[in-house]
Amino acid sequence: MTSYACLVVEDSPMMRQLIVFALSRIKNMTVTEADDGIVGLKKLAQTNFDLIITDINMPIMDGLKLVRKIRSDERHKDVPVIVITTEGSREDRERAMALGASAYITKPIQAPQVIETVKELLKI
Amino acid sequence: MSAKSKAAVQEAPGDVRHQREEFVRSFLHKSAELTEELIRDNQTMEEQLVQLREENEALRAQLASNDVVRELRTIIERLEREQQELLQCSNELALYQRRQADTERELNDLASLYVASFQLSSTLSIGRVVKHMGELMEQLVGAQSFVLYLITADGKRGIPVSAQGRLPAALAPIALEDGPLADASLTGVARIHDPAAPRAPGEPIAVLPLQFGSQVVAMFAVYELLPHKCAWAKVDRELFKLLSVHGATALIAANLYAKEAGPRAALHDVLIHLEAERHKQLLAAEPDSGGEL
Repeated sequence: MTSYACLVVEDSPMMRQLIVFALSRIKNMTVTEADDGIVGLKKLAQTNFDLIITDINMPIMDGLKLVRKIRSDERHKDVPVIVITTEGSREDRERAMALGASAYITKPIQAPQVIETVKELLKI
Repeated sequence: MSAKSKAAVQEAPGDVRHQREEFVRSFLHKSAELTEELIRDNQTMEEQLVQLREENEALRAQLASNDVVRELRTIIERLEREQQELLQCSNELALYQRRQADTERELNDLASLYVASFQLSSTLSIGRVVKHMGELMEQLVGAQSFVLYLITADGKRGIPVSAQGRLPAALAPIALEDGPLADASLTGVARIHDPAAPRAPGEPIAVLPLQFGSQVVAMFAVYELLPHKCAWAKVDRELFKLLSVHGATALIAANLYAKEAGPRAALHDVLIHLEAERHKQLLAAEPDSGGEL
């Protein structure tokens, strides 16, 4: 049975917990959490992930920088990346997509939306 | 023929002979006619036979065709039954999908409530409590602009401690004399308006008092929702109820804890307080005891 590893990079513990809850509904999904882009990059250096979910607005290293770093790394350049944005930040969303994000989810997030997007990207 | 009758024939007169010949000729003629008639009848009958055979063939073919029609009708009836069954299955599936979507939505709502409750009670840092409450408003409810006011001990003023988004006025302490904020502060009843309904400039779309017991200790004033959120969701009201109670408790607990040296130190008077509470309960239960135990 195929198993999936997902990295969730989100500074808000509340949002992180919600995303982890949504991902826990997908069979054979293991989730690694990071509260910032820098921590996320460290986790990426240690493990191979099948999917990355990142918020855009984060202190120290934001989601846009993280997407750029991920896409410039040969190891992770094909890993699907979902960015979490607010409806108002259309520019951020467009920039993230231009940098190579695979999909986006707008806040407030809904578990069914997260599950559907993840399943679509992982072709489950 | 006897010799006597032969002699009679030979001896017959000429007109009799003529009559006899006539009779024979007529007999032969009639025989020929009859034969011809028989032949015609035979031909007619043969033709009728052919016609009947053809009709018979046609009838057989029709009968076979009727069998096909009957068979087709049976197939159509079976297909109609199957169609009905499939339609029933489809309806049941649609119902199941609706139920599943409802369950998913309820699960999502419960998860939001669980996360909100968990995060509010997971810290005793006053800064984090305020941050979590703001996140709850932003991430779970979908509020874009809001202010959190603390109510002063005398209940006359609201002091802004946290704010987000585009606000109708500069952040400053407010007098709780009249208006929706004063009403909510006084009554402890949340005021939640339809976001699409017209309202006075600067009037919040929701005022949410956070109360402990009967006292309102803080208030959220929500001025704007995220652009794609056009109406309150069912879970928003549940989140408001949760925030109203847990938010107030979390604020008070975090504020009290700020004076303590750590979690264990914060519990040093627990036994004394337990005893005092028990004492108070006993006094309340026995009003005539004069305070003696």
